[in-house]
Amino acid sequence: MRTSAVPSRSLLLLALLAWTLLPISVLVFSSFGDSWFYPHLLPTNWTTAAWREFVSDRRLLRALLTSLWLALLTGGAASIVGFEIGRRVSRIPVPLRYFAMAAAFVPVAAPPLALGIGLQYFVLRAGLGGTLIGVWLAHSVVAIGYTTVYFIGAFAVFDHRVEEEARSLGASPLVTLARVTLPLHQRQLAEALLLGFLVSWAQVPLTLLIGQGAVESLATSVMSYVHAGQDHLASVAGLLLALPGLVLMGVVGSSIGRFTVATV
Amino acid sequence: MTPRVEVESLAAPFGKSAGLSDISFSVGAGELLVLLGPSGAGKTTLLKTVAGFVTATSGHVRIAERDVTGLPPEKRDAVYLHQSPVLFPHLSVTENVAFPLRVRRVDDNRRRERVAELLAAMQIPELAGRMPRTLSGGQRNRVSLARALAADPMVLLLDEPFSGLDPGLREDVREAIRIVQRTSAPATVVVTHDLDDAAVLADRIGVMINGRLCQIGNPREVLTRPSSQEIATLVGFTNTFAARADGEGNVETAIGKVRVSGGEATGPGTVMFRTDGGRLTRDGEFRGRVIAITTRPGSVTVTLHTAVGDLELAAEYLRLPSPGDEVEFTLHPEHLIFFPAS
Repeated sequence: MRTSAVPSRSLLLLALLAWTLLPISVLVFSSFGDSWFYPHLLPTNWTTAAWREFVSDRRLLRALLTSLWLALLTGGAASIVGFEIGRRVSRIPVPLRYFAMAAAFVPVAAPPLALGIGLQYFVLRAGLGGTLIGVWLAHSVVAIGYTTVYFIGAFAVFDHRVEEEARSLGASPLVTLARVTLPLHQRQLAEALLLGFLVSWAQVPLTLLIGQGAVESLATSVMSYVHAGQDHLASVAGLLLALPGLVLMGVVGSSIGRFTVATV
Repeated sequence: MTPRVEVESLAAPFGKSAGLSDISFSVGAGELLVLLGPSGAGKTTLLKTVAGFVTATSGHVRIAERDVTGLPPEKRDAVYLHQSPVLFPHLSVTENVAFPLRVRRVDDNRRRERVAELLAAMQIPELAGRMPRTLSGGQRNRVSLARALAADPMVLLLDEPFSGLDPGLREDVREAIRIVQRTSAPATVVVTHDLDDAAVLADRIGVMINGRLCQIGNPREVLTRPSSQEIATLVGFTNTFAARADGEGNVETAIGKVRVSGGEATGPGTVMFRTDGGRLTRDGEFRGRVIAITTRPGSVTVTLHTAVGDLELAAEYLRLPSPGDEVEFTLHPEHLIFFPAS
């Protein structure tokens, strides 16, 4: 049994690697390949032309910066707001808590396109259509939904007695938050930041609907290049789109706090 | 003695029950009050109300003559410790003990000195650099108490500190509480289910039933003179039988006339006593048949079938009868309490 389990596990691992890495490797080959035609498995000529064009294309660089700002701000807002809502919702008595949880789940469950149409009404009325702030708010609505659901789960298993103990020892609610609750949720906060970042980073429908073409992100640029048939540039932008998530996941996975939920 | 903590006509909600009702007591500096009561009696709610985690619906809590009823927990000068020690898992033992000092912005040198003093007082200086997850249950208890002392509280509220502890650890925690009493003499209120803990530690015992403080007094008084049948059951009066009092300290029962305490009443009622309220003897006034012998560490009880029902009496290891034997026994009037029927 043992001997047959090892090859099947290896096969499974190979299949998983192929499943996740093949699309990324296609982007790498396409962005560096000059000519890549059937039946060749790899490009026959290699070039950095697409990358040079990307660097010299101010529009793309601007889109990259826009995406970075949007994603960082969305991640920040989503982790802070999600943390606070999750913390408060976890203290609401049942069945009211279930309603709060259901409400938090709506932006997660609703397709971004449907949500965007609804949000567009408010954003336009607020005069924020076609602005970075408008797009950021729209991205944040979805991201906060995700992080709230995440933090409700985290606080459901959090031992609130540590907070009571801190208060009883003389700490005000603010000091308790700063010295006890936040340090004990370092990892969750970092993960929520990453979650919010990624929700915004790859967001296309909301950016198009709320940005109204005036806000161009990396993700919307990829769509433009694909539609225009500029496969090499689309591959470069697609690769850049894939990179931050992978890098951030590695950073969060390897370096964030040792503590998860406070129970001793 | 001026009370450190004074609770007056306190009422507070808990769960779906009626909640705390008309609770009044006070505890002085260095005094230790043990609260006994069945589960759901409101003992923890009472501690949490004094600590400020449950809002009182009426009445007052005064600490050092200051009315703290409406104040948040951090402004009460009362430290509440949960049933199992809750340390801050991201802080070392030193940082845990220093927490209340840091909150009060005590300067670095004084903080270090005080932490060292407290760890030494609790006999755990070697744990200073350890993280909570590496500590044993007993060590956590001591760190938790050291940290409570660092807050220099007027009142210390301990919620079932002996719950789930093995006998060795239980004695360890008792000793730690004695150290706390010697070190800074706070007014201490301890909730426990255990009569031994109550008898060993308490200066006074309060008995709570259904959200009310039904009796409060010194351990001897509460443990030997319970004021109601419910309290008697709670403090170990396991034997009970029906009787009719004649108003002269005697009661008529199915086994004959028995002298009792509290027999000034007349009419029907119930006699209750502990296992040590009677004794097997060769020339006893009453007779019964042995139906069971129960051996526990340090004691043995014999269950007798008698005309008033089954009775449990303490016995000596060396003079044990056998199940089925007919035996004689006497009852000690000073240990028997008569409760008139209401």
